[in-house]
Amino acid sequence: MRHLILATLSTVALFAATTMATMGAANASAGGDVFAAKGCADCHYTQGPAREKTIDDQLAKKGPELWYAGSKFQKDWLGKWLTDPKPIRPMKFGSLTVENPADHPKLSGGDVAAVTDFLMGLTSADVAAGKVKPKKNPKGRQIFSKKMPCSGCHQYVGRKKKIMGGRSGPSLVEAGVRLNPDWILAYLQKPKVFKPVKMMPVFVGLLSDKDMLNVSRYVANFKPKKKKK
Amino acid sequence: MRHLFLIAVAIILASQLTIASAKASGAEQVYKFYCAQCHGLTGKGDGPNVTKDFPVSPRNFTNAAEMNKLSDADMRNVIMDGGPSASKSPMMPPWGKTLTDAEVNGLIKHLRTLCQCKGKQG
Repeated sequence: MRHLILATLSTVALFAATTMATMGAANASAGGDVFAAKGCADCHYTQGPAREKTIDDQLAKKGPELWYAGSKFQKDWLGKWLTDPKPIRPMKFGSLTVENPADHPKLSGGDVAAVTDFLMGLTSADVAAGKVKPKKNPKGRQIFSKKMPCSGCHQYVGRKKKIMGGRSGPSLVEAGVRLNPDWILAYLQKPKVFKPVKMMPVFVGLLSDKDMLNVSRYVANFKPKKKKK
Repeated sequence: MRHLFLIAVAIILASQLTIASAKASGAEQVYKFYCAQCHGLTGKGDGPNVTKDFPVSPRNFTNAAEMNKLSDADMRNVIMDGGPSASKSPMMPPWGKTLTDAEVNGLIKHLRTLCQCKGKQG
């Protein structure tokens, strides 16, 4: 009898897992259709590897590449952002003179989950999982704001909750909610894989792997402060 | 025969000019892509990163008096190894792992066109 119950439970669990996986895949596939139908592909390409070889190639893009979106973003954040897309970059993509017009199209209803599943399914084997644990990191902070010029181009929350930093790169305010910590490290270590032509300097050969890990931990810890109860 | 020779010379000269102008626009593009973030599109040190919180004033490349104090080698050094290599701010990144030698050479020439100066010689 006990064996029968266990066998039944195993079958149910297997069925549920298979059904969920199938539904997830179906939702991702539907998300791909929504992505195409809404014209998202006009600004974002979703098939890797990276295509950009020259500055012209990079400047011709209207929006960031998304072929590794599932390795880069956090799923919860992505779903919320697609519903209410607040600017990540202070400046318009690829521009040094035009402010971000904050006009990214919004998704609603079932499209949000479907497109989120589609994008989260776009992953890169170059992002190793489980390497970066977000934490307060004085060494990372030192590199970010003193030793290297990260803060020159990226906004972050400084002392007294003041938003500091430059405006040409994507904001890193609350980057720990948006970005997969492991992607931050992979991006620093393998910039040519993800963005072969970019305005940010290559730090490979300038920062050690340990330094990059410290910076990644530090940036991955950029999260909203919990309110005191 | 003489006409043919002249036409050949003209074609060669025209192609050289085209290459030269392509290189010049390449250097300007490299400048605008990497350097203008802080130094500004026209080189006045007024790129979009330079808010009132920016800890230093990026060099104004149109200031001939200041730019004349630097040799081409001084500029190469700072471009490649960053501000701290010349006791300047780390806000000037080290571009040595990003730019090719040809791009750095082009940038130095472009900076000389912005300052309209030859810089410290030797």
